[in-house]
This record gives sequence, C-alpha cells and structure tokens, in this order.
Amino acid sequence: MIRHARRKISVLVAAALLALSVAACGDGDDDSSTQELKPGQKVTLEFWSWVPGIDKAVDLWNSENPDVQVKLSTITVGTSGGYAKMYSALEAGNAPDLAQVEYQELPSFLLADGVEEITQYGASDDADKFVDWQWEQVSFGDEVYAIPQASGPMAMFYRQDLFDKWGIEPPTTWTEYEAAAREIREHGAYIGTFPPGNSAWFTALAWQAGARWFGTDGDDWTVDIDNEATRKVAEFWQRLIDEDLVKTEPDFANGWYKDLQEGQIVGWVSAQWGDAILRGNAPKTAGNWRVAPMPQWDDASEFASANWGGSSTALLKGADYPEEALDFAVWLNTDLEAVDLLIQGGYGWPAASDAFSGSVLDRADPFFGGQRYNEVFADADEHIDKSWQWIPTTSQTYEHLNDGFQAAIEGDGTFVDAVEQAQGLTIDDLEKKGLPVAGE
Amino acid sequence: MRRHDARTAAGFLAPFGILFALFFLLPIVYAIYQSLFTIERTGALGLGGEEQVFAGFDNYVDALQEPGFVDSLGRVVVFAAIQVPVMIVFALVLALLLETASARGVPFFRTAYFLPFGVPGVIASILWGFLYVPGVSPIVGALDQVGIHVDFLGGDTVLLSIVNIVTWEFVGYNMLVLVAQLQSIDPNLYEAARVDGASGWHIVRHIKLPMVRPAIVLTTVFTIIGTLQLFAEPLILKPVSTSISSHYTPNMAAYNEAFSNNNYHLAAAEAVLLALVAMVLSFGFLRLIGRGGDRR
Amino acid sequence: MTDTRVSPPPTSEAPPKPREVRHEPRRPTDSTLRSRVLVVGGLAIAAVYFLLPVYWILVAATKSTGDLFGTSGLWFANPRLLDNLENVLTFQDGIYLRWTLNSVIYAGGGALIATFVSAMAGYGLAKFWFRGREAVFNLILAGVFIPMTALALPLYLMLSKVELANTYWSVLLPSIVSPFGVYLCRIYAAAAVPDDLLEAARIDGAGEFRIFATVALRIMTPALVTIFLFQFVGIWNNYFLPLVMLSDPNLYPITLGLTSWYTFAGRQPELYQLTVGGAFVSVVPLMIAMVVLQRFWRSGLTQGSVKG
Repeated sequence: MIRHARRKISVLVAAALLALSVAACGDGDDDSSTQELKPGQKVTLEFWSWVPGIDKAVDLWNSENPDVQVKLSTITVGTSGGYAKMYSALEAGNAPDLAQVEYQELPSFLLADGVEEITQYGASDDADKFVDWQWEQVSFGDEVYAIPQASGPMAMFYRQDLFDKWGIEPPTTWTEYEAAAREIREHGAYIGTFPPGNSAWFTALAWQAGARWFGTDGDDWTVDIDNEATRKVAEFWQRLIDEDLVKTEPDFANGWYKDLQEGQIVGWVSAQWGDAILRGNAPKTAGNWRVAPMPQWDDASEFASANWGGSSTALLKGADYPEEALDFAVWLNTDLEAVDLLIQGGYGWPAASDAFSGSVLDRADPFFGGQRYNEVFADADEHIDKSWQWIPTTSQTYEHLNDGFQAAIEGDGTFVDAVEQAQGLTIDDLEKKGLPVAGE
Repeated sequence: MRRHDARTAAGFLAPFGILFALFFLLPIVYAIYQSLFTIERTGALGLGGEEQVFAGFDNYVDALQEPGFVDSLGRVVVFAAIQVPVMIVFALVLALLLETASARGVPFFRTAYFLPFGVPGVIASILWGFLYVPGVSPIVGALDQVGIHVDFLGGDTVLLSIVNIVTWEFVGYNMLVLVAQLQSIDPNLYEAARVDGASGWHIVRHIKLPMVRPAIVLTTVFTIIGTLQLFAEPLILKPVSTSISSHYTPNMAAYNEAFSNNNYHLAAAEAVLLALVAMVLSFGFLRLIGRGGDRR
Repeated sequence: MTDTRVSPPPTSEAPPKPREVRHEPRRPTDSTLRSRVLVVGGLAIAAVYFLLPVYWILVAATKSTGDLFGTSGLWFANPRLLDNLENVLTFQDGIYLRWTLNSVIYAGGGALIATFVSAMAGYGLAKFWFRGREAVFNLILAGVFIPMTALALPLYLMLSKVELANTYWSVLLPSIVSPFGVYLCRIYAAAAVPDDLLEAARIDGAGEFRIFATVALRIMTPALVTIFLFQFVGIWNNYFLPLVMLSDPNLYPITLGLTSWYTFAGRQPELYQLTVGGAFVSVVPLMIAMVVLQRFWRSGLTQGSVKG
C-alpha cells in the first residue's frame, strides 16, 4: 500500500528523466530544408518587425502577391526585447522567415547561426540597388546576410526661433557648439542632453570623429575602443557635463519630451528619423525647428557625418521559402511605393540608392519652417565612413558604456575611464564567448 | 482510516504532482543541468561551429566574479532589508489603526488600501514612473515649489523609489492578512487586561502583537521571497532612470544574460544562485524566529 | 507569552487612548474626540497615498498627448475622456479588447483549474497518511522559492519541443501550478474537515473522490475562494511568463500588451496616451472587483487564520 505511493513517485521521476533526456538531446534540430514553390501553391511568410508603418507596405505587397502572403507580427523594439524573442525562437526552432535586424546586431546573429546567407539565392544581383556603405554593413567578405533597409545619417536639429531671439548662430564645429551651449545657459535653457543610457548615440559620435572600434584581422576580432578619437569625444562631453552645459537626462523619455516642448532643450544632434520624434512629442513647437549639418571637429580634414541606428531585413535561419522571402525583402526596400510608405511611417533614411530625390522626403516641410531639411541628411549620408564594423557582442559593449557613463555622471570616475573599462570588458565578452581576439 | 491510504493519497496528488513535476521540477533540473555546460567555438572569427562542453562549476565562478551580478545580489538583499520592515510595519500600523475603536469609515479605508493590489506591477511602475519624472510629475513640481529638489530616479534614491512602488502595491494585501488575524483575537482577553489595569498601548504590545505573530511571519517570508525576485518594476523604470542598469537585480541580470547575450548557461547559473540565496534567507529567517517551517 | 516582537515605531498619530477597546463590528463607544481625529487623520493621509496614482491616472486618461506632458498632473485640461477611450478600444483593430479577453482566459481559467488541482492535492496530503508525506509536502513548499527566471527559459525550450510555445497553453499550464494553494488547502482541510464526517460517509459506502467532491469541497470553500482570488490576481498581474512565452500580440495579456505600447511610445508618441488610457480601463474594473471581492477575501483569511 505504501509502495503504491512510492511507485507513483518513481514513475513520475522516471518520466521526468525521460523527458529531460529527450529535451537535452535533439537540441537545435531546426528545419534546414528549403522547399521549392510549386506553381499555384500559396505560401505565407512570417515577418517580425517593430518599424512603425511597415504594416502598410506589407499590405501593399499582400495585395499584389496573392500567392506569397506576408504575415507581419509587431514585436518589441529589438534592443528592448525583440532580439531576445528572435534568439529564443531560433533556439526553439520556430523562428519567423524574415525579421528586422539592426546593423549592429547582425554579427551577433551570425554567431548564433541565426541568419541565412543570401548570395546563394541571388542576392549579389541586388548590390547596386543600395548605398555602398549600407551594403557593406550587411556583408561579411563575399557573403551577404541581409537586405539593407534604412539608416540614420546625422545632423543637428535646433530651435531657429530661440537661436534668433538670443542672437546665436547654429554651430558648425564642436568648439562653436560648446560656445553656443554657454550662451544658451545664460538664458536658462540647455543646448541638449547627454543620454547616459544610450551609448549607441555616443558610438555614432565616436564614429564621426574617425574612431574605428571593431574589425577583423584575419581570423581574429579586433577591439580598439579607447583610441585617440574616442577619448577626444569622451573628454569633450565630460567637460560639457562638468560645466553644466548639457543636461544628463535620458532621451526618448517623458522628461526630455517635456523639455523639448517647452524650450528647455533647444537642440538635438540626431539622426534623420529624429524628425518623427520631434513631430510627435513636441507638436507645440512646430515651425520652429531647422536642421544644420553636424558640428565638425577642428582637426577634421574633411566633412564627416555619422550614422545612428540603421537596420535591415534579414532571412532567419530555417526559412522555408528563401527565394520568395528574398524577393519580398528586396521589394520592401527598393520598390518606390513601398519605400514611400515606409518613409511616411518614419522608418529612417532609405538604404536604396536614389531613393531620396523625388520621394516624400524631398520637399519643404512646415514643421521645419519650410526648410527642405532632408537635403542636409542626404548630404550627410554621402559622408559616412564606410569601414565601420560591429562585433557579435556589441550590445554588451553598449551596456558597459552605459554603466560607465552612469557611474561617471554620479561622480564615480570619468567618461574616459568608462571608455577604458569598456575596452577591457569587451575583450572579456568576446573571450567568454570563445571568440578569438587579436593580440590576446 | 489507514486503508488504501497511500494509494488514495496518490490519486489525489496525481494531477498536481504531474503538473508540478513537469512545470516546476523538470525546468529547474534542466536549468541546473544547463548551468554546468558552456559553449566552445571553433573556426575563423569563431564562426566555424560550436559545441556544448561540460564546464563543471565554471559558470558559477564566472557569475560570482562578475561584479555586476554580485552587486545585484547585494542590492536585492539591501532592498529586502529596507522593504521588509517598511512593508510589515506599515501594514501593521494600518491594521492596528483600522481595528481601534476610534476609527471611522473603516470599510472605505480598507478598500482604498487594498485597491493597489489589483494593479499589475508593470502598470504600477508606469504610473509611478510618470509621478517620478521631473517636469511631468505633480509631486516633483510641488516639492520644487517649496524649494525641495528631489531626484526620484537617480543615484541611490531610485532604489527607495522602487521600494515605494512595491510597498504601494502590496501593503494593502498584507494589511488584510494582519487584520484577519487581529479580528480572531478573543475579546475577552481585552476585558481581562483592562480589569488588570492595562492601558491601550499596553494591550497593543502585549496582546495584539504576539497574537498577530504568525501572520507577521507569513507575510515576512513571502515578502522576502518576492523582494529578492524583483524584476518588473526596475525594468519598466529603466528607460527613464539614469541609474538602472540591465543587471540591476539578479533576475534582470539572468534575463539579460539569457535573452540579450544568448548565454543561457551563465543565465541558468545565475538563476540557480538566486534561488539558493532566496532559500537560505527564508529558511534562515524562519529558523531565527524559532519556527521549523510549516507547523501551523 | 512573552512578547519578543518589535513594537511599531512611533508614528505621527498617537496610538489610541480608548477607555474600552472593543473588538467587534465597528461599534465604537467612548473613544475620545482627540483620538478619533488622530486616527482618522492618519487613515486619511494613508488613503491619499494609496489613491494618488489612481487619481492621477483618472486625470491623465482624459488628456491628449500634448496636454499630458504640458499641463499639471493634478487637474484636468481639455478633458476628452470618451475620445481617448474610443481610441484605446479601437486601436489596431481593437487589440485591447483581445488582450482583455486573453487576461480573463489566463487568469480565470488558470485560477479555476489551479484551485481544483490544489484542493485535491491539499486534501490528499491532509487526510491520508503515507510514508514520505512530509518530505513531499516540503518539496512542494520549496517550489515557492524558485525564481521565475530559472523556470522560464527551460520551460520555453521544453514547450517549443512539443510546439506549444507561443500558444495559450504556454501561459496557462505553468499557471495552474500553485504550491501555495496546496499549502493552504492542506492546512484548511486538516483543520476544518472533521475525520468523523469522512468516516461516516465511507461507512455509507461513498467512494473517496465522491466524498471529496461533495463533503470536503463544500467545507473548504473559504480556502478555495482565497486560492482562486490569489491565483487569479497573480496570473492577471504576471508579466514575466507571458513575456518569455509569447510573441504573437494576439495572445498577449493586458500586462504584456500595455507595456508593448509603452515601449513603442518613444517612436509613436500617441501610444503614451493610449497606454495611459489602456491602463485606466484595465485598472478600473479590477478595482471594482477588489472592492467586491475584498469581503470574500477577508472572510477567507479570517477562517484560515482562526483554524490555523
């Protein structure tokens, strides 16, 4: 009688162990067989993205392609959990066919063997449809892993009305930026904020200054974060913060929106897609903003802008109909109607070459007082260093920088310290993942 | 009464038992199993291939050496050390006040205090987030007017701000538990005490509090466990605070490790460590006050 | 019994100085005016604290996005509550209503089954002895200590293997397990269900399960209601489990849905207003439910502690 209970328990345990061994083996047996589309066969492709307005482009495709339907799932922004979803779906073997992957996250997907190589499906034919440096971002040597979608060439948004009122000229160099910041402080406002939790922005600034943090050297990854250029940028912003010339509140948050709306913050060095942010969150300031080229370093030999954010449409590993998926990805990012819809959704700067002229972007805009503001960004897009690369642990590097900057702002160390620490920690990250690092 | 006891018991326990084994025991065993392995990569740039190799306790060593993770453990212990007394004392005070003869409008107040329990943690964090952000918050604005500048979201204050959110959510519930216990006290005890000349305060100290002790213990243990697993509230406040990192609490660190860094093995080790800390603290507390676990 | 507890720290309200502390349904007798004022004053201050965010969200839900950031949080400005509510309910083809339905399914369905399963297990543990019973019980209790992060990912991987990830089951099944429920039921059954009653029923020839279903369950009702409510609220408020398991927004519960709007709000500013409105809509009915159910809860807890 007592044995019955015991027997039940041992049966349970045995079942558990059995299930465990089943779960432990058979890990990662995803469906890697691709299938041929038979004529007349209907196919549904799954696509995960968070870009606002992309549903309209998807609807357009669906209306024109009854046999190849795309089912869009809106997921959280990649860095806020969207990538997490993708990785776990890949691990579980039920990933979507297509997904939104930002440029800096691609190497990480490569490492997780999460994206399909697409030149085998004919992607090299599409190279000339896209701006060079963005095609570089999705390539690894001769192999291509995604279709570029959009980027964020940078410039400076500023409140023309307040600048006029206070007799300030929009700065063209960082030295002038600092001087302007001082003047603006006299009037009780700030020229901008340094967002301590958003090191992607800082990364772009380092990119502009000529830094080249990541790369490959033969079989090894290279890490060079605390180089001259980066230190220069770090020291600059440290000084601005120490002298209370910029705020240190988080961007893309309520307090910052309020400051923008009320003229407490009068400038923003940002990417092209920042226009939608301003429009949406500071509607009462319409008509007062203008765009000027990004401030330059005094010792820069030529005009340089940078890129903040940028993403692609990637085929995830195990996509069942890669050729059809590739067709959709290319269409989404080059077809004029699709691109227009995406622009209207505020997705960023198109990666397709020649997408600018004649598009919705190429016009005077009342929010910017009638300025053809996108011309500034178009020019910026031509002056972005093509050789910037990413590593598979970029998101962790961002975390290290965030931590370091936050600590520095609270008085524990300096920005330069943060950069140095990030250097060491990033090398650790790569090694922990079992990746070879040059010089280690 | 002992006939077929074991068999019958098994029958009643089976549904729960199977579900428990499948959805609690199995995952934890799997997590422990995963925590003992790691990934090795080969090939150029490490992209050649990967394999899972046995790593013994390496992941645990890594976790404990990572300053971020150890900090997060320390942080939640500090958090618990603040949260638990605040919660229990606040709940107790409210419960006692509600149960005195001088109280009026008790049903209204009791309901008011209990309302926040129905608000999910993430929603509560969004709400309080709005109330903390300078420029949007009427509280910050009002304090500014009288010359007090508070930064609810910065530095060390943000921890207290989170304590506030969690307190707001759960005090009402804990208070009800205490009230229930208070109401079960035999009124004759009060009579007897009064006859002996005890004052009101005396009654509180020597009758009410000791009788409420079991409920206090219960709520304390659950508060400790819940507090150590803090996750949602800091996660929601993260974008608006300059002081919350992605490994602010152990649960956040493990989540980050698993889902952003794709290091499931390290994440599993961190989760196991957290579970151990929780168990040690809870059982330690119970042992400390002389109870053997569940002798009720 | 000696009192080793720490007494509550001095609060701003002095402890009551009644002549007679009667513990009974509020029938206050001679408490002084002063003590009344102090006590009620203290209670009122506490009430302001608890109700402030509720008030805030009521006010905020009536504002437009511009006003949300532009005007004082404590008072209305150009109220447009009905417009906002309409937006919340129709945005993205009424996905908010879908989320509400999902929450009801997860919480209602999950809690219902959890209660029943826990009752069975608790009853079994209380009324039938077997060797190793305490060990099993302690094992179950230990389940309370396991943090969700340890469970969530392996659970996700396990459920994916049987193709249950990103389905209703992926959230429902783990939610049915309630070690606390088993604990409570065991205590309650042991204390409240008299053995002689069971014996009598057995002598009458009733089967064990029948006895459980007709006799024991009825007696255990207060505990069952308590567990149901506890589990319902727990599942309703759960964020982590659905976060890990679900990627299809049509399956999201309200917690996940609203936070997804909130995280998007940076890119799509109207989502701030929608989040606030959505939170308002979700919070109000639940609060009404709290009011109503609070009574059951109290009686359930009272019974529990008295028996304990």
